[in-house]
Amino acid sequence: MRWLPAVLAIAALTGCVGPAPTTGEYEEKAAHTAADALSQLQTARLAVGNAGRMPASYLETVLVDAEEAFGSIESTFDSIQPPDDPRADRLRSDLDGLLSDGSDGMTQLRVLARRSDAAGLRSTAEQLVATADGLGRFAREHGS
Amino acid sequence: MKRVFGVALGILTAIGGFVDIGDLVANALVGARFGLTLAWATVLGVIGICVFAEMSGRVAAVAGRPTFDLVRERLGPRIGLANLAASLLVTLLTFSAEIGGVALALELATSVNYLLWVPVAGLAAWLVMWRVRFSVLENTAGLLGLTLVIFGVALWRLNPDWPQLLNQGISPGNPPGEGLPTYFYYAIALFGAAMTPYEVFFFSSGGVEERWTRKDVVTSRVNVFVGFPLGGLLSLAVAGCAAVVLLPQGITVDTLGQVGLPVAVAVGKLGLAVAILGFVAATFGAALETGLSCGYSVAQYFGWQWGKYVRPREAARFHLVVLVCLIVAVGTVLTTIDPITITEYSLVFSAVALPLTYLPILVIANDPDYLGARVNGRVANLFGTLFLVVILVASVAAIPPMLATRAGQ
Repeated sequence: MRWLPAVLAIAALTGCVGPAPTTGEYEEKAAHTAADALSQLQTARLAVGNAGRMPASYLETVLVDAEEAFGSIESTFDSIQPPDDPRADRLRSDLDGLLSDGSDGMTQLRVLARRSDAAGLRSTAEQLVATADGLGRFAREHGS
Repeated sequence: MKRVFGVALGILTAIGGFVDIGDLVANALVGARFGLTLAWATVLGVIGICVFAEMSGRVAAVAGRPTFDLVRERLGPRIGLANLAASLLVTLLTFSAEIGGVALALELATSVNYLLWVPVAGLAAWLVMWRVRFSVLENTAGLLGLTLVIFGVALWRLNPDWPQLLNQGISPGNPPGEGLPTYFYYAIALFGAAMTPYEVFFFSSGGVEERWTRKDVVTSRVNVFVGFPLGGLLSLAVAGCAAVVLLPQGITVDTLGQVGLPVAVAVGKLGLAVAILGFVAATFGAALETGLSCGYSVAQYFGWQWGKYVRPREAARFHLVVLVCLIVAVGTVLTTIDPITITEYSLVFSAVALPLTYLPILVIANDPDYLGARVNGRVANLFGTLFLVVILVASVAAIPPMLATRAGQ
Protein backbone atom coordinates (compact mmCIF):
# COMPACT_ATOMS: atom_id res chain seq x y z
CA MET A 1 0.00 0.00 0.00
CA ARG A 2 3.06 2.29 -0.26
CA TRP A 3 1.65 3.74 -3.47
CA LEU A 4 -1.54 4.96 -1.83
CA PRO A 5 -0.32 8.32 -0.45
CA ALA A 6 1.18 9.13 -3.85
CA VAL A 7 -2.05 8.21 -5.64
CA LEU A 8 -4.12 10.30 -3.20
CA ALA A 9 -1.76 13.26 -3.65
CA ILE A 10 -1.95 12.99 -7.46
CA ALA A 11 -5.72 12.67 -7.27
CA ALA A 12 -5.95 15.79 -5.14
CA LEU A 13 -3.62 17.72 -7.41
CA THR A 14 -5.48 16.74 -10.57
CA GLY A 15 -8.53 18.50 -9.15
CA CYS A 16 -6.63 21.82 -9.13
CA VAL A 17 -6.62 24.32 -11.96
CA GLY A 18 -3.14 25.18 -13.16
CA PRO A 19 -1.84 28.05 -15.32
CA ALA A 20 -2.82 28.31 -18.99
CA PRO A 21 0.38 28.88 -21.00
CA THR A 22 -1.35 29.21 -24.40
CA THR A 23 -4.45 31.07 -25.55
CA GLY A 24 -5.97 27.79 -26.77
CA GLU A 25 -5.63 26.23 -23.32
CA TYR A 26 -6.97 29.39 -21.70
CA GLU A 27 -9.96 29.30 -24.04
CA GLU A 28 -10.62 25.66 -23.14
CA LYS A 29 -10.52 26.49 -19.41
CA ALA A 30 -12.81 29.47 -19.99
CA ALA A 31 -15.33 27.27 -21.85
CA HIS A 32 -15.17 24.69 -19.06
CA THR A 33 -15.74 27.44 -16.49
CA ALA A 34 -18.77 28.72 -18.44
CA ALA A 35 -20.30 25.23 -18.57
CA ASP A 36 -19.75 24.67 -14.84
CA ALA A 37 -21.19 28.09 -13.98
CA LEU A 38 -24.18 27.45 -16.25
CA SER A 39 -24.86 24.19 -14.39
CA GLN A 40 -25.11 26.07 -11.07
CA LEU A 41 -27.21 28.86 -12.56
CA GLN A 42 -29.62 26.37 -14.11
CA THR A 43 -29.84 24.50 -10.80
CA ALA A 44 -30.89 27.71 -9.08
CA ARG A 45 -33.39 28.55 -11.84
CA LEU A 46 -34.90 25.05 -11.77
CA ALA A 47 -35.25 25.21 -7.99
CA VAL A 48 -36.85 28.66 -8.09
CA GLY A 49 -39.17 27.59 -10.92
CA ASN A 50 -40.40 24.78 -8.67
CA ALA A 51 -40.22 26.72 -5.39
CA GLY A 52 -43.86 25.94 -4.61
CA ARG A 53 -43.14 22.23 -4.95
CA MET A 54 -40.45 21.98 -2.26
CA PRO A 55 -40.05 22.88 1.42
CA ALA A 56 -38.41 26.26 2.10
CA SER A 57 -35.45 24.55 3.79
CA TYR A 58 -34.74 22.51 0.64
CA LEU A 59 -34.97 25.53 -1.66
CA GLU A 60 -32.66 27.54 0.59
CA THR A 61 -30.08 24.74 0.81
CA VAL A 62 -30.06 24.21 -2.97
CA LEU A 63 -29.65 27.95 -3.57
CA VAL A 64 -26.88 28.34 -0.97
CA ASP A 65 -25.00 25.34 -2.43
CA ALA A 66 -25.38 26.70 -5.98
CA GLU A 67 -24.25 30.19 -4.93
CA GLU A 68 -21.17 28.83 -3.13
CA ALA A 69 -20.26 26.59 -6.05
CA PHE A 70 -20.74 29.46 -8.50
CA GLY A 71 -18.48 31.69 -6.38
CA SER A 72 -15.83 28.99 -6.24
CA ILE A 73 -15.95 28.52 -10.03
CA GLU A 74 -15.64 32.29 -10.54
CA SER A 75 -12.69 32.69 -8.17
CA THR A 76 -10.89 29.68 -9.65
CA PHE A 77 -11.19 31.22 -13.12
CA ASP A 78 -10.04 34.60 -11.84
CA SER A 79 -6.95 32.97 -10.33
CA ILE A 80 -5.75 31.71 -13.73
CA GLN A 81 -3.06 33.92 -15.23
CA PRO A 82 -4.11 34.59 -18.86
CA PRO A 83 -1.43 34.52 -21.59
CA ASP A 84 -0.15 37.87 -22.84
CA ASP A 85 -2.51 37.96 -25.84
CA PRO A 86 -5.37 40.41 -26.62
CA ARG A 87 -7.64 37.49 -27.55
CA ALA A 88 -7.14 35.97 -24.09
CA ASP A 89 -7.94 39.35 -22.53
CA ARG A 90 -11.17 39.53 -24.55
CA LEU A 91 -12.14 36.02 -23.42
CA ARG A 92 -11.47 36.96 -19.82
CA SER A 93 -13.44 40.19 -20.08
CA ASP A 94 -16.46 38.52 -21.78
CA LEU A 95 -16.64 35.66 -19.28
CA ASP A 96 -15.98 37.89 -16.27
CA GLY A 97 -19.03 39.98 -17.18
CA LEU A 98 -21.26 36.92 -17.36
CA LEU A 99 -19.87 35.46 -14.14
CA SER A 100 -20.31 38.73 -12.32
CA ASP A 101 -23.96 39.04 -13.44
CA GLY A 102 -24.60 35.42 -12.48
CA SER A 103 -22.96 35.82 -9.09
CA ASP A 104 -25.03 38.91 -8.26
CA GLY A 105 -28.23 37.14 -9.34
CA MET A 106 -27.47 34.02 -7.29
CA THR A 107 -26.83 36.11 -4.17
CA GLN A 108 -30.10 37.95 -4.76
CA LEU A 109 -31.96 34.61 -5.09
CA ARG A 110 -30.58 33.42 -1.76
CA VAL A 111 -31.58 36.68 -0.04
CA LEU A 112 -35.11 36.54 -1.48
CA ALA A 113 -35.52 32.84 -0.59
CA ARG A 114 -34.68 33.59 3.04
CA ARG A 115 -37.30 36.37 2.97
CA SER A 116 -39.83 33.99 1.37
CA ASP A 117 -40.35 36.59 -1.38
CA ALA A 118 -41.90 34.39 -4.10
CA ALA A 119 -42.56 37.24 -6.55
CA GLY A 120 -39.02 38.58 -6.19
CA LEU A 121 -37.59 35.09 -6.74
CA ARG A 122 -39.56 34.64 -9.96
CA SER A 123 -38.57 38.05 -11.29
CA THR A 124 -34.85 37.61 -10.44
CA ALA A 125 -34.82 34.12 -11.98
CA GLU A 126 -36.38 35.61 -15.12
CA GLN A 127 -33.61 38.20 -15.30
CA LEU A 128 -31.02 35.43 -15.14
CA VAL A 129 -32.24 33.89 -18.42
CA ALA A 130 -30.02 36.25 -20.44
CA THR A 131 -26.97 35.34 -18.32
CA ALA A 132 -27.71 31.62 -18.69
CA ASP A 133 -28.07 32.00 -22.46
CA GLY A 134 -24.80 33.94 -22.56
CA LEU A 135 -22.92 31.29 -20.58
CA GLY A 136 -24.35 28.52 -22.76
CA ARG A 137 -23.34 30.35 -25.93
CA PHE A 138 -19.85 31.04 -24.56
CA ALA A 139 -19.35 27.37 -23.63
CA ARG A 140 -20.50 26.19 -27.08
CA GLU A 141 -18.45 28.73 -29.06
CA HIS A 142 -15.22 28.21 -27.15
CA GLY A 143 -15.49 24.56 -26.09
CA SER A 144 -13.66 21.82 -27.96
CA MET B 1 -46.21 -18.26 7.16
CA LYS B 2 -43.44 -17.01 9.40
CA ARG B 3 -40.86 -18.21 6.88
CA VAL B 4 -42.64 -16.49 3.98
CA PHE B 5 -42.75 -13.29 6.02
CA GLY B 6 -39.04 -13.66 6.78
CA VAL B 7 -38.18 -14.08 3.09
CA ALA B 8 -40.38 -11.10 2.08
CA LEU B 9 -38.80 -8.97 4.78
CA GLY B 10 -35.35 -10.02 3.59
CA ILE B 11 -36.18 -9.03 0.01
CA LEU B 12 -37.58 -5.65 1.04
CA THR B 13 -34.55 -5.03 3.24
CA ALA B 14 -32.20 -5.97 0.42
CA ILE B 15 -33.96 -3.54 -1.96
CA GLY B 16 -34.01 -0.68 0.53
CA GLY B 17 -30.50 -1.39 1.77
CA PHE B 18 -28.94 -1.63 -1.70
CA VAL B 19 -28.80 2.10 -2.41
CA ASP B 20 -26.34 4.25 -0.49
CA ILE B 21 -24.74 7.68 -0.93
CA GLY B 22 -22.43 6.30 -3.64
CA ASP B 23 -25.32 4.91 -5.67
CA LEU B 24 -27.36 8.09 -5.25
CA VAL B 25 -24.58 10.44 -6.29
CA ALA B 26 -23.01 8.29 -9.01
CA ASN B 27 -26.30 7.45 -10.70
CA ALA B 28 -27.66 11.02 -10.61
CA LEU B 29 -24.32 12.41 -11.77
CA VAL B 30 -24.05 9.94 -14.63
CA GLY B 31 -27.73 10.30 -15.62
CA ALA B 32 -27.34 14.09 -15.82
CA ARG B 33 -24.24 13.85 -18.03
CA PHE B 34 -24.63 10.67 -20.06
CA GLY B 35 -28.35 9.88 -19.93
CA LEU B 36 -28.82 6.14 -19.60
CA THR B 37 -25.91 5.26 -21.88
CA LEU B 38 -24.03 3.90 -18.83
CA ALA B 39 -26.92 1.78 -17.53
CA TRP B 40 -24.90 -1.28 -18.57
CA ALA B 41 -22.28 -0.51 -15.89
CA THR B 42 -24.93 -0.56 -13.15
CA VAL B 43 -26.42 -3.78 -14.54
CA LEU B 44 -22.94 -5.34 -14.70
CA GLY B 45 -22.24 -4.27 -11.11
CA VAL B 46 -25.57 -5.67 -9.87
CA ILE B 47 -24.89 -9.05 -11.53
CA GLY B 48 -21.38 -9.04 -10.02
CA ILE B 49 -22.55 -8.29 -6.49
CA CYS B 50 -25.25 -10.99 -6.83
CA VAL B 51 -22.63 -13.58 -7.87
CA PHE B 52 -20.33 -12.89 -4.92
CA ALA B 53 -23.01 -12.13 -2.31
CA GLU B 54 -24.62 -15.50 -3.09
CA MET B 55 -21.27 -17.23 -2.48
CA SER B 56 -20.59 -15.42 0.78
CA GLY B 57 -24.18 -15.97 1.98
CA ARG B 58 -23.82 -19.68 1.26
CA VAL B 59 -20.49 -19.81 3.11
CA ALA B 60 -22.09 -18.09 6.14
CA ALA B 61 -25.11 -20.43 6.11
CA VAL B 62 -23.18 -23.68 5.61
CA ALA B 63 -19.93 -23.04 7.50
CA GLY B 64 -21.58 -20.83 10.13
CA ARG B 65 -18.69 -18.42 9.75
CA PRO B 66 -18.44 -15.28 7.62
CA THR B 67 -16.19 -15.46 4.58
CA PHE B 68 -13.54 -13.14 5.93
CA ASP B 69 -13.28 -15.13 9.13
CA LEU B 70 -11.98 -17.91 6.90
CA VAL B 71 -9.66 -15.86 4.67
CA ARG B 72 -6.74 -15.75 7.09
CA GLU B 73 -7.18 -19.40 8.02
CA ARG B 74 -7.39 -20.56 4.41
CA LEU B 75 -5.03 -18.14 2.62
CA GLY B 76 -2.57 -17.23 5.36
CA PRO B 77 -1.87 -14.06 7.35
CA ARG B 78 -0.14 -12.09 4.57
CA ILE B 79 -2.93 -12.38 2.01
CA GLY B 80 -5.41 -11.94 4.85
CA LEU B 81 -3.67 -8.72 5.86
CA ALA B 82 -3.66 -7.38 2.27
CA ASN B 83 -7.34 -8.23 2.08
CA LEU B 84 -7.99 -6.52 5.42
CA ALA B 85 -5.98 -3.38 4.60
CA ALA B 86 -7.60 -2.80 1.20
CA SER B 87 -11.14 -3.52 2.33
CA LEU B 88 -10.85 -1.60 5.59
CA LEU B 89 -9.45 1.50 3.89
CA VAL B 90 -12.23 1.59 1.30
CA THR B 91 -14.92 0.77 3.88
CA LEU B 92 -13.65 3.52 6.18
CA LEU B 93 -13.71 6.01 3.30
CA THR B 94 -17.26 4.89 2.46
CA PHE B 95 -18.21 5.16 6.16
CA SER B 96 -17.07 8.82 6.11
CA ALA B 97 -19.07 9.44 2.94
CA GLU B 98 -22.21 7.89 4.47
CA ILE B 99 -21.93 9.97 7.67
CA GLY B 100 -21.52 13.03 5.44
CA GLY B 101 -24.53 11.87 3.41
CA VAL B 102 -26.72 11.67 6.53
CA ALA B 103 -25.65 15.20 7.49
CA LEU B 104 -26.32 16.52 3.96
CA ALA B 105 -29.78 14.94 3.93
CA LEU B 106 -30.58 16.50 7.31
CA GLU B 107 -29.36 19.86 6.00
CA LEU B 108 -31.88 19.59 3.15
CA ALA B 109 -34.65 18.97 5.68
CA THR B 110 -33.66 21.77 8.05
CA SER B 111 -31.35 24.20 6.18
CA VAL B 112 -28.97 23.91 9.18
CA ASN B 113 -25.38 23.57 7.89
CA TYR B 114 -24.41 19.92 7.43
CA LEU B 115 -21.26 20.28 9.55
CA LEU B 116 -23.45 20.81 12.61
CA TRP B 117 -25.27 17.56 11.82
CA VAL B 118 -22.10 15.48 11.44
CA PRO B 119 -21.49 14.88 15.21
CA VAL B 120 -25.22 14.22 15.69
CA ALA B 121 -25.22 11.66 12.87
CA GLY B 122 -22.06 10.06 14.31
CA LEU B 123 -23.48 9.85 17.83
CA ALA B 124 -26.78 8.40 16.57
CA ALA B 125 -24.93 5.81 14.48
CA TRP B 126 -22.76 4.79 17.44
CA LEU B 127 -25.74 4.47 19.80
CA VAL B 128 -27.62 2.31 17.30
CA MET B 129 -24.59 0.11 16.57
CA TRP B 130 -23.94 -0.33 20.28
CA ARG B 131 -27.46 -0.74 21.68
CA VAL B 132 -29.95 -1.80 19.00
CA ARG B 133 -30.52 -5.45 18.09
CA PHE B 134 -29.09 -6.49 14.71
CA SER B 135 -32.41 -7.56 13.18
CA VAL B 136 -34.14 -4.31 14.25
CA LEU B 137 -31.23 -2.24 12.92
CA GLU B 138 -31.12 -4.03 9.57
CA ASN B 139 -34.86 -4.25 8.95
CA THR B 140 -35.71 -0.67 10.00
CA ALA B 141 -33.02 0.90 7.84
CA GLY B 142 -33.83 -1.35 4.88
CA LEU B 143 -37.58 -0.77 5.04
CA LEU B 144 -37.23 3.01 5.39
CA GLY B 145 -34.77 2.95 2.49
CA LEU B 146 -37.63 1.59 0.37
CA THR B 147 -39.03 5.13 0.33
CA LEU B 148 -36.51 5.77 -2.45
CA VAL B 149 -39.07 4.03 -4.68
CA ILE B 150 -40.32 7.63 -4.99
CA PHE B 151 -37.68 8.02 -7.74
CA GLY B 152 -39.48 5.33 -9.73
CA VAL B 153 -42.79 7.13 -9.17
CA ALA B 154 -41.17 10.43 -10.19
CA LEU B 155 -39.78 8.91 -13.39
CA TRP B 156 -43.20 7.53 -14.28
CA ARG B 157 -44.87 10.88 -13.53
CA LEU B 158 -42.32 12.74 -15.64
CA ASN B 159 -43.74 10.75 -18.54
CA PRO B 160 -40.46 10.61 -20.47
CA ASP B 161 -39.99 9.42 -24.02
CA TRP B 162 -39.69 5.76 -22.93
CA PRO B 163 -38.43 4.36 -26.28
CA GLN B 164 -35.69 7.01 -26.31
CA LEU B 165 -34.68 6.20 -22.72
CA LEU B 166 -34.67 2.48 -23.49
CA ASN B 167 -32.66 3.13 -26.61
CA GLN B 168 -30.06 5.02 -24.54
CA GLY B 169 -29.94 2.11 -22.12
CA ILE B 170 -29.22 -0.44 -24.82
CA SER B 171 -26.87 1.76 -26.87
CA PRO B 172 -23.65 2.17 -24.89
CA GLY B 173 -21.30 4.89 -26.07
CA ASN B 174 -20.10 8.33 -25.07
CA PRO B 175 -22.53 11.11 -26.03
CA PRO B 176 -21.26 14.07 -28.12
CA GLY B 177 -19.08 16.39 -26.05
CA GLU B 178 -17.97 13.68 -23.63
CA GLY B 179 -14.62 11.94 -24.13
CA LEU B 180 -14.10 8.18 -23.92
CA PRO B 181 -11.80 8.41 -20.84
CA THR B 182 -14.52 10.34 -18.97
CA TYR B 183 -17.11 7.78 -20.07
CA PHE B 184 -15.00 4.90 -18.76
CA TYR B 185 -14.11 6.78 -15.57
CA TYR B 186 -17.80 6.97 -14.71
CA ALA B 187 -18.43 3.41 -15.87
CA ILE B 188 -15.85 2.24 -13.31
CA ALA B 189 -17.38 4.52 -10.63
CA LEU B 190 -20.85 3.02 -11.25
CA PHE B 191 -19.44 -0.51 -11.21
CA GLY B 192 -17.61 0.32 -7.95
CA ALA B 193 -20.81 1.82 -6.49
CA ALA B 194 -22.72 -1.41 -7.09
CA MET B 195 -19.90 -3.68 -5.90
CA THR B 196 -18.62 -1.85 -2.81
CA PRO B 197 -16.77 -4.41 -0.65
CA TYR B 198 -18.68 -3.61 2.55
CA GLU B 199 -21.89 -5.03 1.03
CA VAL B 200 -20.37 -8.51 1.00
CA PHE B 201 -18.72 -8.05 4.40
CA PHE B 202 -22.03 -7.05 5.88
CA PHE B 203 -24.08 -9.67 4.06
CA SER B 204 -21.89 -12.56 5.14
CA SER B 205 -21.36 -11.35 8.72
CA GLY B 206 -25.07 -10.49 8.93
CA GLY B 207 -25.91 -14.09 8.04
CA VAL B 208 -23.93 -15.25 11.06
CA GLU B 209 -25.50 -12.53 13.26
CA GLU B 210 -28.90 -13.90 12.26
CA ARG B 211 -27.71 -17.48 12.93
CA TRP B 212 -28.29 -18.77 9.41
CA THR B 213 -28.08 -22.54 8.93
CA ARG B 214 -28.03 -24.74 5.83
CA LYS B 215 -31.82 -24.29 5.62
CA ASP B 216 -31.30 -20.56 5.09
CA VAL B 217 -29.32 -20.93 1.85
CA VAL B 218 -32.59 -20.52 -0.08
CA THR B 219 -33.52 -17.40 1.91
CA SER B 220 -30.08 -15.97 1.26
CA ARG B 221 -30.37 -16.66 -2.48
CA VAL B 222 -33.84 -15.12 -2.75
CA ASN B 223 -32.60 -12.01 -0.93
CA VAL B 224 -29.68 -11.72 -3.32
CA PHE B 225 -31.29 -12.65 -6.63
CA VAL B 226 -34.56 -10.75 -6.09
CA GLY B 227 -33.68 -7.98 -3.63
CA PHE B 228 -30.40 -6.76 -5.13
CA PRO B 229 -31.65 -6.47 -8.76
CA LEU B 230 -34.73 -4.58 -7.57
CA GLY B 231 -32.37 -2.32 -5.59
CA GLY B 232 -30.42 -1.89 -8.84
CA LEU B 233 -33.66 -0.74 -10.51
CA LEU B 234 -33.89 2.01 -7.87
CA SER B 235 -30.40 3.14 -8.92
CA LEU B 236 -31.50 3.21 -12.56
CA ALA B 237 -34.61 5.22 -11.58
CA VAL B 238 -32.35 7.83 -9.95
CA ALA B 239 -30.27 7.97 -13.15
CA GLY B 240 -33.43 8.11 -15.30
CA CYS B 241 -34.86 11.06 -13.33
CA ALA B 242 -31.59 12.96 -13.73
CA ALA B 243 -31.48 12.13 -17.45
CA VAL B 244 -34.99 13.48 -18.00
CA VAL B 245 -34.89 16.63 -15.84
CA LEU B 246 -31.25 17.68 -15.32
CA LEU B 247 -29.52 16.66 -18.58
CA PRO B 248 -31.61 18.94 -20.87
CA GLN B 249 -30.88 21.89 -18.54
CA GLY B 250 -27.10 21.36 -18.66
CA ILE B 251 -27.00 20.63 -14.92
CA THR B 252 -24.17 18.44 -13.66
CA VAL B 253 -24.73 16.91 -10.23
CA ASP B 254 -22.40 17.81 -7.39
CA THR B 255 -24.77 18.13 -4.44
CA LEU B 256 -27.40 15.90 -2.85
CA GLY B 257 -29.96 18.68 -3.29
CA GLN B 258 -29.64 18.39 -7.07
CA VAL B 259 -30.30 14.62 -6.85
CA GLY B 260 -33.76 15.31 -5.35
CA LEU B 261 -34.79 18.13 -7.72
CA PRO B 262 -36.45 15.83 -10.30
CA VAL B 263 -38.68 14.42 -7.54
CA ALA B 264 -39.80 17.96 -6.62
CA VAL B 265 -40.54 18.68 -10.29
CA ALA B 266 -42.52 15.46 -10.77
CA VAL B 267 -44.22 14.79 -7.44
CA GLY B 268 -44.03 18.03 -5.42
CA LYS B 269 -43.57 18.66 -1.71
CA LEU B 270 -44.87 15.37 -0.38
CA GLY B 271 -42.76 13.37 -2.82
CA LEU B 272 -39.68 15.38 -1.93
CA ALA B 273 -40.32 14.80 1.79
CA VAL B 274 -40.43 11.06 1.06
CA ALA B 275 -37.20 11.34 -0.96
CA ILE B 276 -35.46 13.17 1.92
CA LEU B 277 -36.60 10.42 4.30
CA GLY B 278 -35.17 7.94 1.79
CA PHE B 279 -31.84 9.84 1.67
CA VAL B 280 -31.58 9.79 5.48
CA ALA B 281 -32.58 6.12 5.73
CA ALA B 282 -30.31 4.97 2.89
CA THR B 283 -27.26 6.85 4.12
CA PHE B 284 -27.84 6.12 7.82
CA GLY B 285 -28.45 2.44 7.06
CA ALA B 286 -25.26 2.32 4.99
CA ALA B 287 -23.37 4.16 7.75
CA LEU B 288 -24.41 1.39 10.15
CA GLU B 289 -23.41 -1.29 7.64
CA THR B 290 -20.01 0.25 6.90
CA GLY B 291 -19.32 1.00 10.58
CA LEU B 292 -20.12 -2.55 11.61
CA SER B 293 -18.18 -3.89 8.61
CA CYS B 294 -15.05 -2.08 9.86
CA GLY B 295 -15.46 -3.87 13.19
CA TYR B 296 -16.24 -7.21 11.53
CA SER B 297 -13.19 -7.15 9.26
CA VAL B 298 -10.64 -6.23 11.96
CA ALA B 299 -12.11 -8.53 14.64
CA GLN B 300 -12.44 -11.46 12.25
CA TYR B 301 -8.85 -11.07 11.04
CA PHE B 302 -7.43 -11.05 14.58
CA GLY B 303 -9.78 -13.79 15.75
CA TRP B 304 -11.51 -11.66 18.39
CA GLN B 305 -15.08 -12.20 19.52
CA TRP B 306 -17.23 -10.06 17.25
CA GLY B 307 -20.82 -9.24 16.46
CA LYS B 308 -24.00 -7.97 17.97
CA TYR B 309 -25.32 -11.42 18.77
CA VAL B 310 -23.23 -11.27 21.96
CA ARG B 311 -23.32 -8.57 24.63
CA PRO B 312 -21.04 -5.56 23.98
CA ARG B 313 -18.85 -6.45 26.98
CA GLU B 314 -18.18 -9.88 25.41
CA ALA B 315 -17.07 -8.25 22.15
CA ALA B 316 -15.39 -5.19 23.64
CA ARG B 317 -12.55 -5.02 21.08
CA PHE B 318 -15.04 -5.28 18.20
CA HIS B 319 -17.01 -2.35 19.60
CA LEU B 320 -13.81 -0.41 20.26
CA VAL B 321 -12.78 -0.77 16.59
CA VAL B 322 -16.26 0.40 15.52
CA LEU B 323 -15.95 3.43 17.82
CA VAL B 324 -12.44 4.34 16.62
CA CYS B 325 -13.53 4.04 12.97
CA LEU B 326 -16.56 6.20 13.73
CA ILE B 327 -14.33 8.90 15.25
CA VAL B 328 -12.06 8.78 12.18
CA ALA B 329 -15.09 8.97 9.83
CA VAL B 330 -16.67 11.90 11.69
CA GLY B 331 -13.29 13.65 11.91
CA THR B 332 -12.73 13.22 8.17
CA VAL B 333 -16.04 14.89 7.32
CA LEU B 334 -15.44 17.63 9.89
CA THR B 335 -12.27 18.64 8.03
CA THR B 336 -14.86 20.20 5.62
CA ILE B 337 -13.82 18.00 2.70
CA ASP B 338 -16.96 17.85 0.58
CA PRO B 339 -18.74 14.53 1.37
CA ILE B 340 -19.72 14.22 -2.30
CA THR B 341 -16.03 14.40 -3.27
CA ILE B 342 -15.22 11.75 -0.65
CA THR B 343 -17.98 9.62 -2.19
CA GLU B 344 -16.63 10.00 -5.72
CA TYR B 345 -13.10 9.03 -4.71
CA SER B 346 -14.34 6.17 -2.53
CA LEU B 347 -16.07 4.63 -5.55
CA VAL B 348 -12.92 4.65 -7.67
CA PHE B 349 -10.68 3.37 -4.86
CA SER B 350 -13.33 0.76 -4.18
CA ALA B 351 -12.90 -0.46 -7.76
CA VAL B 352 -9.10 -0.61 -7.22
CA ALA B 353 -9.50 -2.75 -4.08
CA LEU B 354 -12.15 -5.10 -5.47
CA PRO B 355 -9.88 -8.05 -6.45
CA LEU B 356 -8.47 -8.28 -2.92
CA THR B 357 -12.01 -8.59 -1.60
CA TYR B 358 -13.58 -10.89 -4.14
CA LEU B 359 -10.78 -13.33 -5.03
CA PRO B 360 -10.77 -14.87 -1.51
CA ILE B 361 -14.55 -15.37 -1.68
CA LEU B 362 -14.17 -17.40 -4.86
CA VAL B 363 -11.41 -19.50 -3.25
CA ILE B 364 -13.36 -20.19 -0.04
CA ALA B 365 -16.57 -20.96 -1.94
CA ASN B 366 -14.69 -23.76 -3.73
CA ASP B 367 -13.26 -25.31 -0.58
CA PRO B 368 -15.02 -28.58 0.39
CA ASP B 369 -13.44 -28.43 3.87
CA TYR B 370 -15.79 -25.56 4.67
CA LEU B 371 -18.70 -26.16 2.34
CA GLY B 372 -18.79 -29.91 1.81
CA ALA B 373 -21.18 -30.67 -1.04
CA ARG B 374 -22.33 -27.01 -1.19
CA VAL B 375 -19.17 -25.80 -2.97
CA ASN B 376 -19.57 -23.72 -6.13
CA GLY B 377 -21.15 -25.48 -9.08
CA ARG B 378 -20.11 -24.89 -12.69
CA VAL B 379 -22.43 -21.92 -13.20
CA ALA B 380 -21.25 -20.16 -10.01
CA ASN B 381 -17.61 -20.75 -10.97
CA LEU B 382 -18.17 -19.61 -14.56
CA PHE B 383 -19.77 -16.34 -13.42
CA GLY B 384 -17.31 -15.96 -10.53
CA THR B 385 -14.31 -16.32 -12.85
CA LEU B 386 -15.79 -14.04 -15.52
CA PHE B 387 -16.51 -11.36 -12.97
CA LEU B 388 -13.11 -11.72 -11.41
CA VAL B 389 -11.64 -10.86 -14.83
CA VAL B 390 -13.98 -7.84 -15.10
CA ILE B 391 -13.01 -6.79 -11.56
CA LEU B 392 -9.30 -7.10 -12.38
CA VAL B 393 -9.73 -5.01 -15.54
CA ALA B 394 -11.74 -2.36 -13.62
CA SER B 395 -9.14 -2.35 -10.86
CA VAL B 396 -6.20 -1.83 -13.22
CA ALA B 397 -8.11 0.64 -15.40
CA ALA B 398 -9.52 2.76 -12.54
CA ILE B 399 -6.64 5.17 -11.94
CA PRO B 400 -5.53 6.21 -15.49
CA PRO B 401 -8.95 7.66 -16.51
CA MET B 402 -9.14 9.42 -13.13
CA LEU B 403 -5.83 11.16 -13.82
CA ALA B 404 -6.55 11.76 -17.51
CA THR B 405 -9.95 13.33 -16.84
CA ARG B 406 -9.08 15.15 -13.59
CA ALA B 407 -11.52 12.92 -11.75
CA GLY B 408 -14.21 13.05 -14.39
CA GLN B 409 -14.19 16.81 -15.10
